[in-house]
Amino acid sequence: MSIVDLTSMGESQAELRKEINDRLSRLQEDVSDYCYQCAKCTSGCEAHKLLELEPHKIVALLKRGLIDEMVNSDIIWTCMSCFKCRERCPQKIAPVEILFALKNMAVASGKQIPGKYSTILQSVLSMGLIQDIQEVTMRDTKTKKRGDLDLPALSKPSDPAKFQAGLMKIAVEKL
Amino acid sequence: MLGESYMRRIGVFVCHCGVNIAQNVDVDALTTYASTLDGVVVAKQYKYMCSDVGATLIKGSIKEHKLDGVVVAACSPRMHEHTFREVVNDGGVNPYQLEIVNIREQCSWIHSDRKKATEKAKFLVRSGVAKAKLLEPLQTSTLKVTPNALVIGGGIAGIQASLDLANDGFKVYLVEREPSIGGRMSQLDKTFPTLDCSSCILTPKMMEVANHQNIELFTYAEVADIEGSIGNYTVKVRKKPRYVDIDKCTGCGDCATACRLKDRIASEFDMGMGKRGAAYMPFPQAVPLKYTIDAEHCLFITRGKCGDKPACREACAQKAIDFDQKEEIVDLKVGAIVVATGYDLLNPESLYEYGYANSPDVITTLELERLISSSGPTKGEILRLSDQQEPKSVTFILCIGSRDETQCTWCCRIGCMSALKHVYLLREKLGDDVEINVCYTDIRSYGKGYEEFYRNVRGLKTNMFRGRPSEVCNMGDHQKIDVFDTTTNKLFEIKTDMVVLVPALVPRADAGDFARLLHLTLSGDGFFLEAHPKLRPMDTFVNGIFIAGCCQGPKDIQDTVSQASGAASRAATILSKEELEIDPLIAVVDEEVCTGCGICVEICPYEARILNEKTKIAEVNDALCTGCGACIAACPSNASIHRNFTKKQLLNMVDDII
Amino acid sequence: MKRKFALYPGCIMSTEQYAYEISIRETLPLLDIELVDIDGFSCCGEPLKSVNQLMMLYLSARNLALAEKNKLDMFAPCAICHLALSECRYVLGSNPEMKGRINGMLAAEDLTYNGTGEIVHTVDLLHDRIGIEEIAKHVKKPLKDIKLATHYGCHAIRPKEIGRPVDSEHPMKMEAILSALGAETAEYPEKLDCCGGLLQINLDESALAKAGQKLKAVHEHGFDGLVDVCPWCHKMFDARQTKAGETVAAKLDLPVFYLTQLLGLAFGVKKEKLGLEFNLSPVDKIQIG
Ligand SMILES: Cc1cc2nc3c(=O)[nH]c(=O)nc-3n(C[C@H](O)[C@H](O)[C@H](O)COP(=O)(O)OP(=O)(O)OC[C@H]3O[C@@H](n4cnc5c(N)ncnc54)[C@H](O)[C@@H]3O)c2cc1C
Ligand code: SF4
Ligand code: SF4
Ligand code: SF4
Ligand code: SF4
Repeated sequence: MSIVDLTSMGESQAELRKEINDRLSRLQEDVSDYCYQCAKCTSGCEAHKLLELEPHKIVALLKRGLIDEMVNSDIIWTCMSCFKCRERCPQKIAPVEILFALKNMAVASGKQIPGKYSTILQSVLSMGLIQDIQEVTMRDTKTKKRGDLDLPALSKPSDPAKFQAGLMKIAVEKL
Repeated sequence: MLGESYMRRIGVFVCHCGVNIAQNVDVDALTTYASTLDGVVVAKQYKYMCSDVGATLIKGSIKEHKLDGVVVAACSPRMHEHTFREVVNDGGVNPYQLEIVNIREQCSWIHSDRKKATEKAKFLVRSGVAKAKLLEPLQTSTLKVTPNALVIGGGIAGIQASLDLANDGFKVYLVEREPSIGGRMSQLDKTFPTLDCSSCILTPKMMEVANHQNIELFTYAEVADIEGSIGNYTVKVRKKPRYVDIDKCTGCGDCATACRLKDRIASEFDMGMGKRGAAYMPFPQAVPLKYTIDAEHCLFITRGKCGDKPACREACAQKAIDFDQKEEIVDLKVGAIVVATGYDLLNPESLYEYGYANSPDVITTLELERLISSSGPTKGEILRLSDQQEPKSVTFILCIGSRDETQCTWCCRIGCMSALKHVYLLREKLGDDVEINVCYTDIRSYGKGYEEFYRNVRGLKTNMFRGRPSEVCNMGDHQKIDVFDTTTNKLFEIKTDMVVLVPALVPRADAGDFARLLHLTLSGDGFFLEAHPKLRPMDTFVNGIFIAGCCQGPKDIQDTVSQASGAASRAATILSKEELEIDPLIAVVDEEVCTGCGICVEICPYEARILNEKTKIAEVNDALCTGCGACIAACPSNASIHRNFTKKQLLNMVDDII
Repeated sequence: MKRKFALYPGCIMSTEQYAYEISIRETLPLLDIELVDIDGFSCCGEPLKSVNQLMMLYLSARNLALAEKNKLDMFAPCAICHLALSECRYVLGSNPEMKGRINGMLAAEDLTYNGTGEIVHTVDLLHDRIGIEEIAKHVKKPLKDIKLATHYGCHAIRPKEIGRPVDSEHPMKMEAILSALGAETAEYPEKLDCCGGLLQINLDESALAKAGQKLKAVHEHGFDGLVDVCPWCHKMFDARQTKAGETVAAKLDLPVFYLTQLLGLAFGVKKEKLGLEFNLSPVDKIQIG
């Protein structure tokens, strides 16, 4: 017996649901099953109006096990992580966390990481912060850097090699 | 007092319960096994032991084998213990020398391995026999019944229960906390699904209560204390001073007209939207048709001064106003109690995003009822509270706090229908041009005539949005709602003049305290718990106390009235008896052993224990003891004994199987 | 009584949003708060949660462990950092297995996370720890005749479940602080809307549109300025205001302040010491003092 989505010929991937659950940092066992599609999440979604993200549909697709469809879609990268959907869901489901898990899966499966995520990742791996000290322009169009100001030195990992070693372990480890 | 065991002649009767037991337990093997047990002289099996044939089988065996102890291996004692006690009694054995062994709920229903289940059943039967060998014959005692009823709460549930009991010929005391009976139903305008006017069908019943010779009404009163047990309760009722002598008051209202605070206090009846004075009557059809002086606000009471003389007292030609009235406690003797204290509405401020706290134009359904009602604060005109203008667009949001894991997990059961009713009434009042939107999650129109009503409303140019908004934004002169409609897969922005929230129905704020007073149990949702959801829906775990209406859980008027009549009839089964039998399966005290420490007196949740001042020995009030066993566990000197659950009997059960 | 906190600067504040750091270091000591600088902090991990959640937990735990090692509570002025740290504490607190795993990795740097330290943000530090009364006592030049809109930032208010510094649906602590400083505040429908900040990473146009919509609304409601408490939000509303305005076809000139800058102004601190020259929005429009 099987359940197939006839528009995409996608099949339910129940086993992947387990992976999603494992990837949810918020402890929740299959909570998405309790979603009754009230769409309160989508009604208030910050990303919906601009980018057509429908968190209730994300939850529905997860319930159906159509996970590849989401992992392969750009839509999961439109969430602004405002957490409104998690805050207000009457069934205590957190679409935003499901989206994080889906994005993590996309990255883990080798899909291209969109936008500046790879730059940020590289920067964190090499120096511990998402970017190095910036030269900024002031209102009077002059520019200044941290060093020009009366501020203490930038706090960052003192032994980058050790720090990197720790992080690299995670980058390769599967959750 | 509890004699030694002697050689018993025991019969074991194994029931198949159709296939319920036989499927997972080898009943042949079990019966054969039982017949080999020490003390067992006969073991038989049958398909339905609780049937007539089964009963005949047991009775025949008792005679034939001169049995003096019976073990029935069947379903839970909750189901048929009573039946089998009667069978055994008819057969000539003391009904308390029966032991039920539960091989259905505890065995066949919960195990799938037939072999192991059969082994377990054998253990259970073996220990049942061990206990049966030690069971004592017991006698029931009786007590006289006071044929009066107490009904607490004068909403439609309490009214119906009172009238039924009074018409059955019993004396009824009806205690209502507010100045008038009527409850929530008196606040409603019209009622779904038939749209009869609420007060037209309620007022005659309220009048009937007022005039019934068997009903004594206590309004502005509460239950302060309760003692006794089924058949004989003593209840203390606290009558709050209403500062008006209701025997003298004619209800003319001159006091209210004269009151210096006239139209300056928010009226609870009108959900704070209308105004009243300190001398007031909550609504024109109040029963009793008497005025009350609100001690919380009255100038004379709070400040000791109201002008040079209290205006109301001056105005009252009947000299009915009496500021010297004091709280009064009345003792009532009753045999049964019906609790009908109703419900509250969830305060939608707990879902702050829906804007109830932010705008007067976001209201609840109950507030809308008052706006629609011709006796309400706007005389039936639908006006926005912010500017007293008629709205051009009204939007309903359903399930506010209902079916919500963060608020109330249950369905309010009347929200959908009340909103649909309001759509109908608004269409009628405001005409075809007003825009009416309903944001729903699911429409639950399960009752008789409800689905048909829903269909009608769909035809009234109602914009049904299947989706739940995330928030209501106060834009000053209007409210803005974004709602994703799952039927069109589109997000809609609704700009609307007035938002009506349909909040959850919740237990009365004081339900917990009240339950403690009466020893009632609450279910997880905070409403009063029934003894069995299907088979004893009006009973509580306290014998003689019944529940009716929304205090048991949200429901519509139809279900409320049915349940109230049911509760009245359950109460009448007690009140109609002159005497009640008392189950002997309760606690007793071994006087030789009791040290008079008094621990049992403290621990007993039913106040059934007293310490005899003279003998310094604890005693059990048989009428109050429910046999819960708390004192048995608590007694440090083993002086508390539960009849036929003695330590010896129980240890024998255990010893025999280990 | 002096209270000590480890100042956890986070990436954005310390590498480009200097005004926040300057004004924090200038004002909080006036309220008897001692800020301790610890070397070795890293990113909180939140911007990488989309890439790898475990990495986020690890990075946050690492920073918390560093503060714990110094026996200090954490002050995280960035709402995003505060969220990551709080979530890490919540997850590790309810999932001992995860805690063990993370601690196993932290051992490489000689660190252990126990979960003993507290985490505060600017708003609760000012409102709950220092208190409105104490703040009011320091006001020398009340902010008269200005009406300000507040923006708390999604990450400071949600999700309630893990504990946030302010109420998630009706945050009012900034309003209380601003009113102690003499300013007027008002509720507005878009108050809880997002700044779009995190979307800058991959969908910059949309991020700007989000910020633009909110700025436009604040402007249309007639506010004199906007106040925020997060370097990401501030970057969107202040540094990128002109661009944000373009996405919603509006020419915007709305002064945007960090709460700590206004705190300093009301306390009589000189403008130059509050980093106000770094605000790219026209903060000069508002005459203070
Ligand atoms: C907006 C709205 C519209 C509705 N419309 C309809 C409709 O059209 N049709 C329909 O069938 N149903 C409708 N209902 C449901 C209806 O209101 C209830 O079914 C009905 O009122 C339940 O009656 P009750 O007697 O159980 O409770 P209540 O009406 O709440 O009465 C309880 C009474 O007990 C009193 N009381 C409480 N505590 C104590 C105490 N400790 N001591 C003494 N007295 C106490 C209260 O003062 C009150 O008088 C509606 C409900 C709402 C909220
Ligand atoms: S708000 Fe919750 S229950 Fe409703 S659709 Fe979204 S995830 Fe499902
Ligand atoms: S967290 Fe993402 S999915 Fe959830 S409401 Fe915000 S933008 Fe939408
Ligand atoms: S004036 Fe006297 S008689 Fe008339 S309603 Fe008031 S109390 Fe009753
Ligand atoms: S009755 Fe309707 S409004 Fe009330 S909770 Fe149930 S579905 Fe929601």
